[in-house]
Amino acid sequence: MIKFEFDVTASSNGKVINCHVCLTLNSCEHNECRICQSKLHSRNKHSLQNTIALLFTGFLFYIPANVMPIMYTNLLGQKTGNTILGGVITLWQQGSYPIALIIFIASVLVPIGKMIALAWLCYGVATDRFSSYQKHHTLYRLTEFIGRWSMVDVFVVAILVALIQMGNLMSIYPGVAAIAFAGMVIATMLAAMTFDPRLIWDPVNAKSDLNQIKNQK
Amino acid sequence: MQHHPLQSNAHQSLESETIACHECDLLIHLPPLAEGHKALCPRCNHVLTQKRRNARDKVFAFAISAIIFLVFSLPFDFLSFESKGNARIVTLAESIESLSLYNFESIAILIFLTTILVPGIFLLGLVYVLISLSVNKMYRHTQKIAKFLFSLLQWNMAEIFLIGILVSFVKIASMAKVNFGLSFFAYVLFIIFLALTVSNLDRFQFWRWVKIHIDQNQPNLSQLKDRGV
Repeated sequence: MIKFEFDVTASSNGKVINCHVCLTLNSCEHNECRICQSKLHSRNKHSLQNTIALLFTGFLFYIPANVMPIMYTNLLGQKTGNTILGGVITLWQQGSYPIALIIFIASVLVPIGKMIALAWLCYGVATDRFSSYQKHHTLYRLTEFIGRWSMVDVFVVAILVALIQMGNLMSIYPGVAAIAFAGMVIATMLAAMTFDPRLIWDPVNAKSDLNQIKNQK
Repeated sequence: MQHHPLQSNAHQSLESETIACHECDLLIHLPPLAEGHKALCPRCNHVLTQKRRNARDKVFAFAISAIIFLVFSLPFDFLSFESKGNARIVTLAESIESLSLYNFESIAILIFLTTILVPGIFLLGLVYVLISLSVNKMYRHTQKIAKFLFSLLQWNMAEIFLIGILVSFVKIASMAKVNFGLSFFAYVLFIIFLALTVSNLDRFQFWRWVKIHIDQNQPNLSQLKDRGV
């Protein structure tokens, strides 16, 4: 283990600013990074507004994604629509519990959990109500990491549509919910990206006192 | 010292360097790291940087292998499906393209982007930058490519596509026979080498390589702008 010395944060120091692209410290006088010429900004601009707007978009997509059928099955001329939850229930009844669980977690629990978590983080940052900064930061990392995995369901539909094309004997084709679902995943991924985790720490940063940071540890 | 920008930079890299944590903005004096060391932010536990043995060579080798396997995953059979005398064989492109039969081009394009194009461009860009670093020439677009490389990575969903294939395999295994083709195994290898590339690639170390490179090629640029830090 290496021991670190640490004092204040870049924002509270008032002299330096961290480049978001190449992670170089720059003097505050500059608008562009001295190494990579990216625009410098201390925090993501309008981070909370953008995150909340994108979360709302994601939520709007989430409703049709669950209500409308994500794919249609044509079995001997009989056409039936399958929703995401319907698919999970069918899989569960067929006895493929692990797959049912994967689909349920990836396409039902993760999106809604992620939206609640991000909304909670925005609320907490706006009202400064966090008791543990570390725990909320971990929550943010989790939402950022897990977001992409919701796309599994869209990929499953694509593969099924590609493989099962036997006319009226048995065919599968995609439903509107696939688009809504993909829209939801993209909107929530963008929401997680626009959220700036540094905002979680800003109440501590504002104090900018060496002792206070040390006491917290 | 002003007359020897190269020396002063080499000297700096041996001493501790002040950096800010990318995730919580804490200023940290980062001591010189030995190979195999990993630096964590003392406040938020963000992995600041990790210095792996031969990271640059490994990243280059893995990236090249990943590109080769990605190319090989395109032309051959990807998946085949057999049920009641009906058979259907698709290539990777066809398996994505089928969605457009039902006017779902938007989803087809999205899948193509996230599973083939984005990881492909990421790997090609990475190889381009690494080659320009190792021949010690500043190619025209090296810096531009280095800047967008890491934002591409967030949109790579190749490994999720693989899970999607396995899930749909289990879904239809009871009613039909599904076989994996040559392209499928190439795609799996592509995902493995892509994961190895990404896990050996450290953003901080990557930019350190680029910085040294920029200093050697355009010593005035960083010297002029470097004031007050």
